[in-house]
Amino acid sequence: MSRLQLEDLTLARGGRTVLEHLEGRFQDGAVTALVGANGAGKSTLISAIMGMLRPVAGRVACQVPKERRAWLPQQLALDLTFPMSVEELIMTGTWPSHGALKGYCAAHYRRGREIMARLGISHLAHRQLGELSGGQRQRALIGRTLMQEAELLLLDEPFANVDVETVDVLMEVLRDMARDGATLVVVLHDLEQLSRLADDMLVLAGGHGRWASPESLLERYAGQPPRAPRLPLTFPDTLDAGTA
Amino acid sequence: MLELLDAWLLAPLDYGFMQRALVAGLALSLAAPPLGVFLMLRGMSLIGDAMAHAILPGVALGFLFAGFSLPIMSLGGILSGLLVAVLAGSVSQMTGHREDSAMASFFLISLAAGVMLVSLGGSSVDLTHVLFGSILAVNTTALLLIAAISSLIVVALAVIFRALVVECLDPLFLRGQGVRGGLVHGTFLGLVVLNLTAGFQTLGTLMAVGLMMLPATTARFWSQRLEGLIGIAILVALVASSGGLLLSYHLNLPSGPAIILLAGAGYLLSALLGRHHSLLARYRRRAAPLGAPEPD
Repeated sequence: MSRLQLEDLTLARGGRTVLEHLEGRFQDGAVTALVGANGAGKSTLISAIMGMLRPVAGRVACQVPKERRAWLPQQLALDLTFPMSVEELIMTGTWPSHGALKGYCAAHYRRGREIMARLGISHLAHRQLGELSGGQRQRALIGRTLMQEAELLLLDEPFANVDVETVDVLMEVLRDMARDGATLVVVLHDLEQLSRLADDMLVLAGGHGRWASPESLLERYAGQPPRAPRLPLTFPDTLDAGTA
Repeated sequence: MLELLDAWLLAPLDYGFMQRALVAGLALSLAAPPLGVFLMLRGMSLIGDAMAHAILPGVALGFLFAGFSLPIMSLGGILSGLLVAVLAGSVSQMTGHREDSAMASFFLISLAAGVMLVSLGGSSVDLTHVLFGSILAVNTTALLLIAAISSLIVVALAVIFRALVVECLDPLFLRGQGVRGGLVHGTFLGLVVLNLTAGFQTLGTLMAVGLMMLPATTARFWSQRLEGLIGIAILVALVASSGGLLLSYHLNLPSGPAIILLAGAGYLLSALLGRHHSLLARYRRRAAPLGAPEPD
């Protein structure tokens, strides 16, 4: 079964069609990589899945309740100079159960501390977000989605500006979330990260989407150094030729 | 010594008008600074100024219809302030222009309309009164209105506090949780308008913003935490409003500018000597040797 499905989905932004006739299902309990060049429509698709963009035609069938969907935009989109500590940020993940008014109880603070321990940021609990490195912030933001008990997690380049050690920790946490049954959709540009994390892959190019296995892409670029070139912007055609 | 203190601090309060002015100032000092802190943190420091101009035509219309009646003028101010906020918000949503450009256009229109209305119906003395207020003329009705609005703002801010914080940091998170995008932002702007209307009688439409923004920008030099910022801003406002009032009494100065200038002096002093980001703090940081413990 799949809780997230695209049915002949067509999306437009500012009067321009961005994606047409998207079909397919995202596997539950798996990580699906969302791959495509800049402007290919990755963010547009994510907006539609979050229910913030109305499709021109077709629909996104999502059975995950709204409060269990989490979207982590790129860090640049967030105002991380806002005076807030790591612990406070993680506690805002209780919004689905607590809303705007309910006080946090001891059990939730305990859970917050467990999450911070798992992410290796316990010592930063009372630090302000503005004082953290990119990697530390990303851990805190993932901590909020853990607090939220997200069942559908959409991540936009979660490993950009993040140190290697953090990438390892976060990958493990994300794999654990998938193992527990969550559906993860991750925008990725890095072949090595793709090979380590993704179970499935949706490639967006030229206004269309193609599903492919991560292996097919990796085989195509087998000879290349693992971390260096970021996914080439022309790959969809070559990929098509390869899989056809 | 005691006599001197008594003469400076307590004797002025024998007068009813000074008592009312003091209470009005203190009530505003509790409500305005937290709003100012959020405006500052959202990069909207100048929006308060724009909104202050936006309430002018409503105040003027109220004045034309009902004479110098504070409740009617306040009602007019609230309505025109909200109207401008809504118009600016919807124009920016419709056109995709940034909200501050729409806001700037509407507040200029409002200012001109307001001044035109006041001049049509009254004298330049009235205009001065509306623009610059007169805290010493606060009567009991006005005081009750100011206290009621201030209390309402504090309670409402407490209710939307968490939502406001979350929205400042990551607006998409709240939208993802099904909270309507404009709801928190709109409520917040509404509170700003309310606060400015409460402040115009005492400080005038133009200077009511001062008690909102100056304490907030001053606090930035002393704290890096939200609770600290709000607490310090309120403290600065309390000191400025009561100190400014006493100064204006003793030195025979206009009260509004005295209050705001005192807050302004606090800001400049903090920029020089504050704990964070001030000139002094920078100098100290540069002088600290390698390996020295980091100042917090």
